[in-house]
Amino acid sequence: EFCSSLAGIMLLEVFLVLGTLLIYFLFSKKKEETLPFKDGWWGKGQKPVTQEDTSVRPFKVETTEEELSDLFRRLDQARFTEPLENSCFHYGTNSMHLRKVVSYWKNQFNWKKQVEILNKYPQFKTKIQGIDIHFVHVKPPRLPEGQAAKPLLMVHGWPGSFYEFYKIIPLLTDPASHGLGDEHIFEVICPSIPGYGFSEAPHKKDFNSVSAASVFYELMLRLGFNEFYTQGGDWGWLICTNLAQIAPNHVKGLHLNMASVSKLGLTHLLSVLLGRYFPGLFGFQDEDVRRMFPFLKKGLYRILSESGYAHIQATKPDTVGCGLNDSPVGLAAYILEKFSSWTDMEFQNLEDGGLERKFSLDDLLTNVMIYWVSGCIVSSMRFYKENLQKGIGTQKHEKLTVQVPTGIASFPNEILHTPQAWAKKKYTNIVSFHFMPRGGHFAAFEEPELLAKDILQFVGKVEKEQLWKKK
Amino acid sequence: NTISCLPRSFEYSQKNAVLVPAAALGVGGMLLYWLRSGRKIKTIDMGDGWWGSGERPLKGKEDESIRPFKIETSDKEIEDLHRRLDHFRFTPHVEGAAFHYGFNSSYLRKVVAYWRNQFDWRKQVEVLNKYPHFHTTIEGIDIHFIHVKPSYVPHGRAVQPLLMVHGWPGSFYEFYKIIPLLTEPARHGLNEGDVVFEVICPSIPGYGFSEAPHQKGFDSIATARIFHKLMNRLGFKEYYLQGGDWGSRITTNMAQMLPQSVKGLHLNGVFMGKQGLGRMICIMLGAYVPWLVGLSREDARLFYPFMQKNVYDILRESGYLHIQATKPDTAGCGLNDSPVGLAAYILEKFSTWTDKSFLHKDDGGLESKYSLDELLTNVMIYWMTSSIVSSMRYYKENFSKDPNLNAYSGYGIYVPTGVAAFPQEIIHTPRVWAKDVYRNIISYSYMPRGGHFAAFEEPKLLAQDIMQFVRKVEQL
Repeated sequence: EFCSSLAGIMLLEVFLVLGTLLIYFLFSKKKEETLPFKDGWWGKGQKPVTQEDTSVRPFKVETTEEELSDLFRRLDQARFTEPLENSCFHYGTNSMHLRKVVSYWKNQFNWKKQVEILNKYPQFKTKIQGIDIHFVHVKPPRLPEGQAAKPLLMVHGWPGSFYEFYKIIPLLTDPASHGLGDEHIFEVICPSIPGYGFSEAPHKKDFNSVSAASVFYELMLRLGFNEFYTQGGDWGWLICTNLAQIAPNHVKGLHLNMASVSKLGLTHLLSVLLGRYFPGLFGFQDEDVRRMFPFLKKGLYRILSESGYAHIQATKPDTVGCGLNDSPVGLAAYILEKFSSWTDMEFQNLEDGGLERKFSLDDLLTNVMIYWVSGCIVSSMRFYKENLQKGIGTQKHEKLTVQVPTGIASFPNEILHTPQAWAKKKYTNIVSFHFMPRGGHFAAFEEPELLAKDILQFVGKVEKEQLWKKK
Repeated sequence: NTISCLPRSFEYSQKNAVLVPAAALGVGGMLLYWLRSGRKIKTIDMGDGWWGSGERPLKGKEDESIRPFKIETSDKEIEDLHRRLDHFRFTPHVEGAAFHYGFNSSYLRKVVAYWRNQFDWRKQVEVLNKYPHFHTTIEGIDIHFIHVKPSYVPHGRAVQPLLMVHGWPGSFYEFYKIIPLLTEPARHGLNEGDVVFEVICPSIPGYGFSEAPHQKGFDSIATARIFHKLMNRLGFKEYYLQGGDWGSRITTNMAQMLPQSVKGLHLNGVFMGKQGLGRMICIMLGAYVPWLVGLSREDARLFYPFMQKNVYDILRESGYLHIQATKPDTAGCGLNDSPVGLAAYILEKFSTWTDKSFLHKDDGGLESKYSLDELLTNVMIYWMTSSIVSSMRYYKENFSKDPNLNAYSGYGIYVPTGVAAFPQEIIHTPRVWAKDVYRNIISYSYMPRGGHFAAFEEPKLLAQDIMQFVRKVEQL
């Protein structure tokens, strides 16, 4: 009884405090300051006194017989565990289907041919802040008289790679040949995030999205670009956002196929509870409601059931990645599971996880091979820890807004839907926001044409505004 | 008018003669009902199950034979292991990582070198076979267990049957050091007292040498039922239970299912679900005035600072739980194919869950409490039986049904319960809260040292606590 009357007083105090906080947050404005550039040294040991080598060296992906026979040996000796009866992809990657994938991998997948495909675009390496940064740089094959190519930095995420952009690159560097009109032509730069693919992994702690953004900023400057566009999804979303916050005068436009908001407050809570019934009150459109509700199923439950990987990678990356760097089958199971559920959550109900409905096995395995031959799975997972270990919503860049013109392509099967009403609190200058008709998380990989069209119309709008509006 | 003329006293007494007994009966009846319903213990329905492949056979009775079993190995197995160890692909850790990013890969290299060159699996198999092993088929799957009887029983002394259940990522092997202390206490310098045990350690289905369920839905209730059937098949009507980790949950369910068979329940880890607003407020107050909310000083020391010890630490340590409870087949796939990956994953727990400060050490403090031989033998059990994936599925089966792990707490546990609270256990549950669910705690001990793997790390301390608990129960 004593507890309950004391409880009553405490409750009252708690509500008073909450009420004050609510008023404060409703009326406070987010700061408009820039994010400071994050310098660093990520190489092994001490930073040398001598000046860093800033040369840009051509690079080609290579493979050896030894590499291939080692891979085949591991595939042959893979130890599978029988799935539970009727479990489809509900327990994760179904090992019956995995066996088929492995059989294809061993007998039909031609890595040498895929390496040639990877090498069809010029690749380079250059040392920045102590580590080698790998990137693809594709210039347009032809340019109409008097037109300059617009530089576009495209950043991948996890468990993707620069390879995700191979189908969209020609649509952006040579749109005319693909029926897309040639008003805007791009030269595309796709780097690998440090710790991913052929970019060297940082040897020091603390390499987070702001570090990656700073490194890519240096890269663009080194390549001679003073103004450029950026595009990204997954980690690419965050890195490009940070880049726009660090150097708003250099980023002409920011295009995203995923726009999460991590600074959640009471208004978000209220809109989740009431938004289905009063969408207009919270700025929700019909499509927002369709994608977000019922919230328990499409929001909370989905977050819980799909974020186990993020939780363990953000806390024990070296543990969880260890076995995956030693077992190609384990690596494939881990990565392909995402290409199933993040393309369409319903694919979990299929025995084959719907893997080949939107992608070819060659494409999927090429991406897995990039992780395998570079041995980067552990370092790729560390990025989660470096970004998330202090908790979500606690970092400086999460509290700052973005004033750079922003375009958002919102794909229906993205893991979580962010309505424009929420996105515009962070991205204060949204120039275009479109609900895409189909597609999931790996937009560039799955729906390159849709994404390219959206990028083109966005850039079109920005260029038009730039002409008469000075920053 | 004749009615109204009746004298008042007559009316009263007639009314009273009827009303008072009626009222007394009514109140008495309600009182009896309330008392009985309060007393009436809700038990978990035993139910039934089938976990074999395909459909349950309609005809024929299940083979109830108990078949002796010996663990075996072969050159082929060992060579395959060695080959994989030799070809392990190692990733350097970031500078200054210690165990903060998970298992330190430099130290892992040393462990692998020992495993490849010094660890003798054939010798360890002999060690494993020193206790008698058996298999028996229950609900369609083969259940493995060891059964150790005391070699010498003093005249007239009763031998108490004791079922000890392991957890994840442990195994029946965790009990190998404590078994002799329980079957032959006098020989090991423990209080001769009057307590001697015969110990049964099964492997949870899906773990070690117990067959993995082929059907979905195999949770701790199913396990509890199967273990009751096992004890019954071995001829025991009443027995003691001991467990930590999943073993704690399974033995708790067993006590809730058939309390009449459980003489006593001893736990070295009490995991309770979330409790609500009242609990939150008591938590907040307890940091400042623990006595006010029933927490002892030791409770306060172990439980606070709350955010640090309970929220942050749990978030930091529960990634494995989250992925295993949602995507076990994905998480375990690579681990069943890479012995080094499996070792890193499992041994990380033997580091952090033994002592949280081990996170700061380059070698994770592993060899300060355990020998590499012991640790690797446990890992080998998972490797040789290919049971890592099925062991992880247990998380999904249990958490999907019961995300808060309430352990049917509405039902309560009324059998005599003993709790050994080890200081480095992942979460500390104070007695005052444990009492909400375990309604008959007759012994609650703050152990002086030790962590999650109590039987493995501090067998003597745990054995002593079990014995003093059982002595108390026997005296009741």
